[in-house]
Amino acid sequence: MTERDFSDETLMAFADGELSADKQKAVEEAIEKDERLANRVAGFIESRSMAQNALKPLLDEPVPADLKAKIEEMVGTETNVTALPRRHASTPVRRWAMPLAASLALVVGGLGGYLAGTSTTDQPAQVALDAVNQPEIITALNTASSGSETDLGASGLFRAIASYSDANNTLCREFEIDRVDRSTIVAVACRSDADWKYRFTVFAGQSNSGYAPASSLEALDAYLNAVGASEPMSVEAEAAALEAIRQ
Amino acid sequence: MADEFGQQMVALLPNLRRFAISLCRSRDIADDLVQTTCEKALANHSSYKPGTRMDAWLFRILRNSWIDRVRRNRTEGHAVEIDDANALIGQDGQTVTEARLTLDETAKSIAALPDDQREVLLLVCVESLSYREASEVLDVPIGTVMSRLARARKKISEDMGIDAEVKRSNDKEGFRT
Repeated sequence: MTERDFSDETLMAFADGELSADKQKAVEEAIEKDERLANRVAGFIESRSMAQNALKPLLDEPVPADLKAKIEEMVGTETNVTALPRRHASTPVRRWAMPLAASLALVVGGLGGYLAGTSTTDQPAQVALDAVNQPEIITALNTASSGSETDLGASGLFRAIASYSDANNTLCREFEIDRVDRSTIVAVACRSDADWKYRFTVFAGQSNSGYAPASSLEALDAYLNAVGASEPMSVEAEAAALEAIRQ
Repeated sequence: MADEFGQQMVALLPNLRRFAISLCRSRDIADDLVQTTCEKALANHSSYKPGTRMDAWLFRILRNSWIDRVRRNRTEGHAVEIDDANALIGQDGQTVTEARLTLDETAKSIAALPDDQREVLLLVCVESLSYREASEVLDVPIGTVMSRLARARKKISEDMGIDAEVKRSNDKEGFRT
């Protein structure tokens, strides 16, 4: 066989191990007899490793922190229910780098009466909807715009996350309370008969970050999805809705 | 399932970013592109076939996003020509050594390749996709993958002065681009 019988593509495929067994053998035999052919194959082997080496530093470059954070946030809010809108993705307040908190527990009594599971099969049945009775939380719900934090003194730190209307057009607010014992409560309260009533509360246990861990937010997303909550309101819409309830 | 999917995607971020930088030769646009890719990947999670290479699947989404972007910019009349010969040189702050200079020269040579040759070189030689996998990412026949790849590699060899056989072996192609 002469060198002319082998195209660049064939020799390259040989170098890359992409030839079928019989062609592979034919090239092998030809290479043994023809040094120039061997050099051409060597060229392809070398160009591969050169390209690899040259672009290795790009791989070693750290992924920019903000990009990584964005993707992790996207992934963190992703649940098995693919139809779920990732409503937290646009809430800059969130930073749940926390691993799943083993301490996640659902509040059964005390703060709220509603029990929500992490599974979407849980129906948001109308069970014991406790009214919000702490005046400082009521005030915060009536006034604080989403994204802001309000110091509740002994009750902890109130963080307004988002407002939306549910399927019945009821105004609902998602918020978190960092309690003085370092635990965090994730809650949704909705406006009903001139009161705020808890619809959803998750006691997120102790966290060092001060933010609710992802698992409680998955439960929340499942809940919001189940009740047909709208996308979070715009700043203007929220301000108007809060203005309306204060009158 | 979703968790594992997400974790794999996060683990592939450096590779996605490298591919993106190689495609668009701009770090800022590349980061934007990687984010778009991940958003699309999560939204279309169900179209990923478990057991296949996730990186190849993501590269395809990334490349299509880049093409969309170029096309959109063109129809809007924006210039998209970014000709940064240094874009593929790593920014890891390593001391400049002889070996490093060679790497940088090779990176420049790769950056200067025509787009269709550069992307196939990236997928096969750098990301170790098979010819078939690359042809699926790029939506072209395997023969096209091979001819582009061969041309890209010969050009690099020539630029780096490692292949004395280049001129003579050209007779198969008859011309060069």
